[in-house]
Amino acid sequence: MTFLIFNVVGGDPALQLAGKYATPEQVESIRHELGLDQSLFHQYLDFVKQTATLDWGRSWQTQSKISDMILSGIGPSLSLTVPAFLISFFISIMVALFSVSARGALLVWDRAISIFCLALMSISFLVYIISFQYLFAFHFRWFPLNGWDDSLMGRWGYLVLPWMISVVVSLGPNILIFRTAFLDEVIQDYVRTAQAKGVSRMILFGRHILKNAMVPVITIVVLQIPFLITGNLLLEAFFGIPGLGGLLIQAIQNADFPVVKAFTVVGSILYLFFNLVADLLYLVFDPRVELR
Amino acid sequence: MMAFTPNGLRRPSAIISLTIIVGYIALALFAASGWLGMDFASTNMDLSYHPPSADHWLGTDFLGRDVLSRAIHGTKIALLVGFFAATIATFIGLTLGSLAGFFGGWVDDLVVWLYTTVESIPYILLISAFAFSLGQGLSNLFIALGLTGWVKLCRLTRGEFLRHKNREYVAAAQALGTSSFAQIFKHILPNVLHIAYIQYSLSFIFAVKVEVILSYLGLGVEPGTPSWGIMINDAKAELTRGVWWNLTAATLFMFVLILAVNIFTDSLRQALDPKSKSQVASV
Amino acid sequence: MKLFLVLFLSTLLLVSCTSKKEPQGDVVVSVLDSNIPHLDPIHSMNKISSTINGSIFEGLYHYHYLKRPITIEPALASAMPEVSKDGKKYTIQIKKGILFQDDDAFADGKGREVTAKDFIYSWKRLADPKNKALGWWMFDGLIVGLNEWRDQMRNGEATYESEVKGLKALDSHTLEIQLTRESFQFIHFLATPPTMVMAKEVVDKYGKDIVNHPVGTGPFVLEKWVRNSEVVLTKNPTYREVYYPSEGSEVAKKKGFLKSEGRRLPLSDKIIVRIITERQPLWLAFLKGELDHGIIPKDNYDQVFKNNKLKKDVADKGINIHYLPRPDVTFIAFNMEHPVLGKNKNLRKAFAAGLDKEAILATFYNHRGLVAQSPIPPGLKGYDPNYKHPISYDLEAAKKYLAEAGYPEGKDLPVFDYEMSSTSTWSRQYGELLKDLWSQVGINIKLNANTWPQFDKKIKTKKATMFDMAWNADYPDAENFMQLFYSKNISPGSNNFNYVNRTYDELYEKALTLQPGPERYKIFRKMVDIINEDVPGIFVVHRIFRLTYHDWLENYYEYPIIYDHLQYYFVDKEKKAKLIKKL
Repeated sequence: MTFLIFNVVGGDPALQLAGKYATPEQVESIRHELGLDQSLFHQYLDFVKQTATLDWGRSWQTQSKISDMILSGIGPSLSLTVPAFLISFFISIMVALFSVSARGALLVWDRAISIFCLALMSISFLVYIISFQYLFAFHFRWFPLNGWDDSLMGRWGYLVLPWMISVVVSLGPNILIFRTAFLDEVIQDYVRTAQAKGVSRMILFGRHILKNAMVPVITIVVLQIPFLITGNLLLEAFFGIPGLGGLLIQAIQNADFPVVKAFTVVGSILYLFFNLVADLLYLVFDPRVELR
Repeated sequence: MMAFTPNGLRRPSAIISLTIIVGYIALALFAASGWLGMDFASTNMDLSYHPPSADHWLGTDFLGRDVLSRAIHGTKIALLVGFFAATIATFIGLTLGSLAGFFGGWVDDLVVWLYTTVESIPYILLISAFAFSLGQGLSNLFIALGLTGWVKLCRLTRGEFLRHKNREYVAAAQALGTSSFAQIFKHILPNVLHIAYIQYSLSFIFAVKVEVILSYLGLGVEPGTPSWGIMINDAKAELTRGVWWNLTAATLFMFVLILAVNIFTDSLRQALDPKSKSQVASV
Repeated sequence: MKLFLVLFLSTLLLVSCTSKKEPQGDVVVSVLDSNIPHLDPIHSMNKISSTINGSIFEGLYHYHYLKRPITIEPALASAMPEVSKDGKKYTIQIKKGILFQDDDAFADGKGREVTAKDFIYSWKRLADPKNKALGWWMFDGLIVGLNEWRDQMRNGEATYESEVKGLKALDSHTLEIQLTRESFQFIHFLATPPTMVMAKEVVDKYGKDIVNHPVGTGPFVLEKWVRNSEVVLTKNPTYREVYYPSEGSEVAKKKGFLKSEGRRLPLSDKIIVRIITERQPLWLAFLKGELDHGIIPKDNYDQVFKNNKLKKDVADKGINIHYLPRPDVTFIAFNMEHPVLGKNKNLRKAFAAGLDKEAILATFYNHRGLVAQSPIPPGLKGYDPNYKHPISYDLEAAKKYLAEAGYPEGKDLPVFDYEMSSTSTWSRQYGELLKDLWSQVGINIKLNANTWPQFDKKIKTKKATMFDMAWNADYPDAENFMQLFYSKNISPGSNNFNYVNRTYDELYEKALTLQPGPERYKIFRKMVDIINEDVPGIFVVHRIFRLTYHDWLENYYEYPIIYDHLQYYFVDKEKKAKLIKKL
């Protein structure tokens, strides 16, 4: 699908590669060399072949191997995404548990948390980035403004602020999702039984409800990850992180078709992978195996 | 059929948020009819970056244009984008989802294949592909958003259909010889509508927020149209020189609208979703 | 699970405390505001890639760092070329003992000596059709036999061993170049990255990956390149003996740039070139002292300047400004093949008279720059400061032109598509201003934002109606601006106006055969008159860039076509220690 769409639009790579002093002869020969003068069907066959072998050749814009470019972007992208995701995940669980257990006597808290989450969700991502960067990296000087260290140990300092922003943005929706999942569990029969048996509230929430609520939560939450990985282009651009989002957006903006093609495949692979992860996590959390 | 459960919607928060939404719609109508904010495009170089004053309540921007007028005009754009994008997405999602769920077989396979494909392509790539192929402009923007935003509703609708399909009342209807078309509309659809309502407002919020990101990528509405996304993007480097009003105005306008829709959706969810209804009584 | 949380929060705290990275030795932190696609000199046609390529590679000639107007002088050549009487034969001696940087591609990993053959090889590489070199236009049709070799290469009839008549190595260190015609640009071409010298062994070893493995003879070697993030350059230990210049312009003297006189280059051990594409972090990182120099976004002018002077509190912090007049012109071009716009001179004049260039200069450039009267920018010979464009901003005149064009008060006038060359905020606001200005005349335009490829396609396939653009001098000669209107250069070439005028062409061809001098400039003047009467475009401004730097960065003297500038920079550490506390 993307194959077709990008063939119709974007730009003419041959014209672009010929530069500002192009001659018609040069444009023609480049077009021939890139295979752009072949039929769409022919080009499509090439695409299928490349996908099967995972060898997409070279980027038109950078002339580097696409597989190398993507490999070099994966590390930074994961360093940005995964910790932020986990932090957000844990905070969300804690807050949601508190929120649900606060229903009853402390109902006000539950309401307040919900509204607060909705409020967090009502501000644009871009606004968070602009203002957090200004406040925390510049005004208060708590964090470096922008930069990247390629070594595994050196990079974390640059990542704290991007993590923070990413956590703040994802906190709202995550807490609400967890809260709903927990509420669905709270009304189940086994909870009443357990309460009647005198199981302490702490254990009830901390163990049983948490575990059972994981199943619906996992589907929603784990499947966010592939989008986070390729979708962090704003954070990458503002904080100078050389990840996949930036590569993707440059490819789109420069009509770098081979890279775009590669990304559709990488996207699918990530998608399949995290679907698999979700399935595996089901096995771990399946309530039918445990508890009853 | 589920009726509106008035409980959730009679809450003060729901009423307030609905009032706010209506207020925004009124504002947009005023802007559209030319009563408000018409000077959004008139530049005045001598007034560049004037802070809020009696003449310009929310100050002026780089080209000396009135920020309040631009924000009001942006309301119109935001509502249009949200409304149309959500409508298109809901329509596609509901249609495909119910077809797949009802007919099963190859129709189902096709729809499932379609949405997994759409879902597996990185969103930013998908939306840029659509935005590029359609070109810039307001109508193209919401078409692109609509064409990419239907997956979740489609999946949920299909699921609900599969759940309801084998219930007694459908079987009963089938026994009475009702045509399949009538079956969908009379019996099952009302049961999945509550999902559609909620997804509709979620799509609305999503569209308004994504407009900002698309403006950042230069794929938003056409230049010259003052959308909130464009205002926020204009303000990207202004904060450092102390110009906070452009960013604040757009953010605030957007914040109040989205919060209102969010709260309203939340109330709607509580009112309509059978699962959530039981939540109210629990623990 | 709680344990995990605690663990996470504590690592978070830990890393945030230990984050400061303090580099050792003499380090300069420089910055570029755009991504580098590749580091192959033959494609290096913009300041961004050329800044890095120019630090790693060297050509036969280069520009003197401190002299203005800029002056060409030998780099790897041992003297200025001997040119035959007819101006077509160049004999150039190459310095002895120049070594390529150490690389695994060479025997024992030690760089070998550069010979005349390396230059011939490198220039063949530039001509090789397989390489699709962006810099090829410079040699296209200029060197005897090179175009023929290029054609033969395309058909597989030639190899790199095949002889090119116009490129000869008389001995190991003497080059003889035969040109097809006299050319005053040729020597300047030899100072640009595409003609810089590369070693065959290195190209052969890395194959297509040569784009990521630059190995030259220059002051720095590439230590690390993290795409979209930073380039780290370290001192080349085998760099030839070069010393800091002892002469310079008045500005250079006043700024104390001559204090480094006689020191061996490069002055720093390491240059970290950060790549920051977003304006806010770029500016804030500079203000915070994370960068040694920076670029002021247009929105932040007022933060630094008051009445065009550096503010006192800014100056007290040790922040300095470098004014950089650029040999360029920004313009709004009309497509002369457009059925309405191309045929109606008065309509184009209405556009021109309705454009308030002063307002643009005031807001978008904060008064820094000159309103353009012709395509020729100041700083180039042939520029006449007293020349005035026949049309200036006059709303009434614009309305009159519009009426004469057959559209009184804009009646029946179609809406014109205006193509913006980027999707940036800057482009958009610029377009919005134009739209508002012209609507006062009665002309309506529709703004279209484009990514560069979309824009490029539209102008090169003649689909654009009108568009904005800027042209920077690729070599310091007014001819580079005159060729923009030559009919043989129409799209996809550089004449994107698609302007065709027989008289103009004849004058242009005549000027090409003349020595730089009064007679040539007289012809240029006539050509400018023709263009300004025909209005194929509106010349808006010649820009003066304002670059900021901290006082601790010494010898910061940027110029658009000087590419080996990084070797002259160094940081005064004592000053830095003192000043950074004030930021």
